[in-house]
Amino acid sequence: MSLAEIESREVQLEAPQGLWRDAWQRLRRNKAALLGFGLVITFVLVALLAPWIAPHSPRAQNLSLIREGCCPGPSGHYPFGVDALGRDELSRVLYGARYSLLIGVVSVAVGLSAGLFFGAIAGFLGGIVDSVIMRLMDIMLAIPGLLLAIGIVAMLGAGIWQIMIAVGVVNIPVFARLLRGAVLAQRENDFVLAARSVGVPRRSILMSHILPNALSPVIVQGTLALATAIIDVAGLGFLGLGPQDPATPEWGTMLTGTVRYLQTAPHLAIIPGVAIVISVLGFNLIGDGLREALDPKLRGRA
Amino acid sequence: MLRFVVRRLLLLVPILLGLSILVFLWIRALPGGPAQALLGERATPQAIQQIEHEYGLDKPIPVQYWRYLQTVGRFDFGQSVTTRRAVTEELRQKFPATVELALAAMFFSIIFGIPLGFFAAKRYGGLFDNLSLVGSLLGVSIPIFLLGIILKYIFAIQLGLLPTVGRIDVLIEIKHPTGFYVLDALIAGDLHAFLDTLKHLILPAIALGSIPLSIIARITRAAVLDVQNEDYVRTARAKGMSPGIVDRRHVLRNALLPIVTVIGLQVGFLLAGAVLTETVFAWPGIGAWLVDAIESRNYPVLQGGILFVALVFVLVNLVVDVSYAFLNPRIRLS
Repeated sequence: MSLAEIESREVQLEAPQGLWRDAWQRLRRNKAALLGFGLVITFVLVALLAPWIAPHSPRAQNLSLIREGCCPGPSGHYPFGVDALGRDELSRVLYGARYSLLIGVVSVAVGLSAGLFFGAIAGFLGGIVDSVIMRLMDIMLAIPGLLLAIGIVAMLGAGIWQIMIAVGVVNIPVFARLLRGAVLAQRENDFVLAARSVGVPRRSILMSHILPNALSPVIVQGTLALATAIIDVAGLGFLGLGPQDPATPEWGTMLTGTVRYLQTAPHLAIIPGVAIVISVLGFNLIGDGLREALDPKLRGRA
Repeated sequence: MLRFVVRRLLLLVPILLGLSILVFLWIRALPGGPAQALLGERATPQAIQQIEHEYGLDKPIPVQYWRYLQTVGRFDFGQSVTTRRAVTEELRQKFPATVELALAAMFFSIIFGIPLGFFAAKRYGGLFDNLSLVGSLLGVSIPIFLLGIILKYIFAIQLGLLPTVGRIDVLIEIKHPTGFYVLDALIAGDLHAFLDTLKHLILPAIALGSIPLSIIARITRAAVLDVQNEDYVRTARAKGMSPGIVDRRHVLRNALLPIVTVIGLQVGFLLAGAVLTETVFAWPGIGAWLVDAIESRNYPVLQGGILFVALVFVLVNLVVDVSYAFLNPRIRLS
């Protein structure tokens, strides 16, 4: 084993660690990002603990509460009021966090893994494979995101799993392009050349040399994609393409019926709306913070 | 420049072909297949067989695709299952409504977004800058339909200032030669109708324009901050040029490149976001039409609508690319 190889290993092990430690230092000083972490942690905790903190069942109806013109507002027993079927709004919003979190995470995971796969092989293999994959991605990008999702839902039928897949597929070309660009940029680096010259197989070069170094833009994009996914999922739910059981406490679906009662029961629109904004805001703040922390060019700027 | 345009046009061909293949395969993947999609859910097996024969659906796939290309090339998307009218005809009626809304939203986001970003950069780190950052962050975090509902509640229900449904008061009768109601009212010379159409546009345009507004403000701020510290700006200042002229001729003009790109990127978003806005405000455009089509499994409408919107999106992106090259000599000449 030559001295050069040992040295290059050391450099590789240290460089990413230094980057992450450095990023963490910068992130900790970023108040907006900390607020984002706070919001997201709250969101996740609410989703996990919903059955224990919700005062009522999200599906239990109490029609005796409903008066003419609908829906009593906040009261001692029902702190956020009840909806048109007499269900406790607070419990529904708390349980709704589970659906939004689950759908958001799964759909981004679908888009991210498929996008990374296509982007990595396109960038690494190049040539005809690259052209075919990237033209395919261009075609997918030619259909505006929400419309593509609607088309996919029309094909699969409405429902939770269907919107996860639809939103996930919409995310594929974004991640594929991102990773292809990163791989192309890394491919020409000296350490890749070095690894290749000592006979490291192509797959291990991709997995252990190129991918780790292309990780930071993917993490930033992934966080921001979570925010967009929650918005898109709520949008599809609002359009009636979400869970088909209307008792499901999904935030977007909860908003659909509220337009009718806007005059007498605005709280029914405001409460799930605020929940959506808080969770989306949290991921956006973290994403922006990470971008600044991981991008050396942006250092020192607000 | 001409070579650049020709090259971009040629690149369009595989994308359009791919798009048509995608939509073609999509129709075939629909539940029950295309014949059932065409006939609706209550179709008898005989009727399905007849339609399959009539439309050549029993032929090999490549033959079917070739036929499909021919009909789509003639802008024939078939008949709407619910209204029995040609999809193209309905499209012609709905499209101007969506374009009118998208243009109004775009106008709103540009005339507020660029000045907002510019002054935020000028007062970098100050109160106005921080407020605009918070505002733009909130702007991208509020779903359009939610903002639509909130606007509706404040301005229509609480204050009773603006209408929230449709494009024009039902009592106003004017001719619609263009389908753009604002233009139609101008052509008719009817001031009352003109003001009424504008009033109907305000809330949907703000709801739809909120996200582009935030993004344009952010990009403008970043671009101005970038350009402000360039050597040529410092030189211009050192020469004793008045700050106003430096801002206009050197800072804004160079900051315009990323801004134009971002504005172009918003077009797809506006077309897709219109789906949600139109649903909230009962705006009779393509978005609301497509949502209805999903609910009634009106596949010819879905197919024609999605293909058409994608086509518009691709063409607009081409225009953006070309205008970008026009603005940036480095791309034009390379």
